[in-house]
Amino acid sequence: MSEPHPRRAAVTGIGVVAPNGTSTESFWKSTQEGISVLDRVTREGCEHLPLRVAGEVRDFEPTAAIEERYLVQTDRFTHFAMAAADLALDDARLGQADTGEAPFSVGVVTAAGSGGGEFGQRELQQLWGKGSRFVGPYQSIAWFYAASTGQISIRRGFKGPCSVVAADEAGGLDALAHAARAVRRGTDVIVAGATEAPLAPYSVVCQLGYPELSTGDDPARAYRPFTEGACGFVPAEGGAMFVVEEAASARERGARVRATLVGHAATFTGASRWKESREGLAQAIRGALDEAGLAPEEIDVVFADALGVPEADRAEALAITDALGAHGRRVPVTAPKTGIGRSFCAAPVLDAAAAVLAMEHGLIPPTPNVFDICHDLDLVTVRARAAEPRTALVLGRGLMGSNSALVLRHGAADAS
Amino acid sequence: MNDRITVEELAELMKKAAGITVAPEELQQQYDTGFDSLGIDSLGLLGIVGELENRYGAPMPTDAERCKTPRQFLDLVNSALPAGA
Repeated sequence: MSEPHPRRAAVTGIGVVAPNGTSTESFWKSTQEGISVLDRVTREGCEHLPLRVAGEVRDFEPTAAIEERYLVQTDRFTHFAMAAADLALDDARLGQADTGEAPFSVGVVTAAGSGGGEFGQRELQQLWGKGSRFVGPYQSIAWFYAASTGQISIRRGFKGPCSVVAADEAGGLDALAHAARAVRRGTDVIVAGATEAPLAPYSVVCQLGYPELSTGDDPARAYRPFTEGACGFVPAEGGAMFVVEEAASARERGARVRATLVGHAATFTGASRWKESREGLAQAIRGALDEAGLAPEEIDVVFADALGVPEADRAEALAITDALGAHGRRVPVTAPKTGIGRSFCAAPVLDAAAAVLAMEHGLIPPTPNVFDICHDLDLVTVRARAAEPRTALVLGRGLMGSNSALVLRHGAADAS
Repeated sequence: MNDRITVEELAELMKKAAGITVAPEELQQQYDTGFDSLGIDSLGLLGIVGELENRYGAPMPTDAERCKTPRQFLDLVNSALPAGA
């Protein structure tokens, strides 16, 4: 690039609503301690379903976080998104007064894979139980994958570029990358991330057809990627939102640059073709490193996709060494999502949040419930490992065939 | 059930269908305030119309969801209800 000062995308705020914490602080405390909060499914209407274990967000009170006029027209996944966006904007110290001055310079990007299942189920029950006249008009927007982007922008008065990544699980990373590109192209601030709420009975039934879904009933054994006991993934709800803005102007306004988004690439290898995902994921990693201008040896930690399906785990372990060479066997790899479950599009966004926190705290969080690794990886287990990661690689794959890799650098590394 | 839709019922429906809490006395004072200023968007008003149709078992005038203020809305929907029903 010939520009003297290329625009760089910085993370200045993080907001988390996750099964192990409804604030970034509580999420990190639980994550770094390697606590597993996977538990028996307790959601009403799910008791008789074959999904036994999930990562539920249990201490989130929507009415305490969101005004009633927004609650009545939105699903739980959007409640999470609005709350996480508030937390991220507070963290970035961007108040209504700041963004209100220049509403066209603030946009929103979210990814969603399951949409508003709980709201949709309620309205469909009205439809078949009472008739079409009893379906509320907000059904038209609440179920929709784009709802969170729209409602965050309306509620906060943002009028900048808004978009939605409609992809599978990897879409969470693609949303962050899209935000970074928008910032590099000239938008001041993008609120970006993903949240999901796929544990309503209807949503659970939709997932029962996935051969990758774990129906194990022991929370300690239901989701154990990279082990001989791998039997699929445990779904979860929750997610995270980031404030992404231009690094130099963020520093100018006194904001803390927590990390920079420096590289991303995405590939597609087909639904449930896990063997083929090896080449796709390796190619995504190479593309992300290339964009970041980094050598494989400069990656200090990898946050794995960790699907928990033997063939997919093997493909991921091989992809890491395919792309990183011998460094791939030495670099610490972790998958904290084994303690909270996979919240679809939001899972890799929570990993990106954990990656930023790991770089800030000099601590690589462990992979809960996972002990005997059957792949050639240095997987961090049992307890957090002290380290000084400056650069993190986050991987995501989706059941529909997307593979994404995102590279983040520690904020201090960017300034030096 | 009243034979006319009152300001109390409108206030109740605004809360139920659109999540907007306005006391009936206050709504009375804001009779000519736009629904948009009260926080009711077009889908919210459509939801209120749907609730009324289900309650009264009668279709509301087609323009009901286009009314701009509580006064316009109540005048229109009440004109459509059979008197003394």
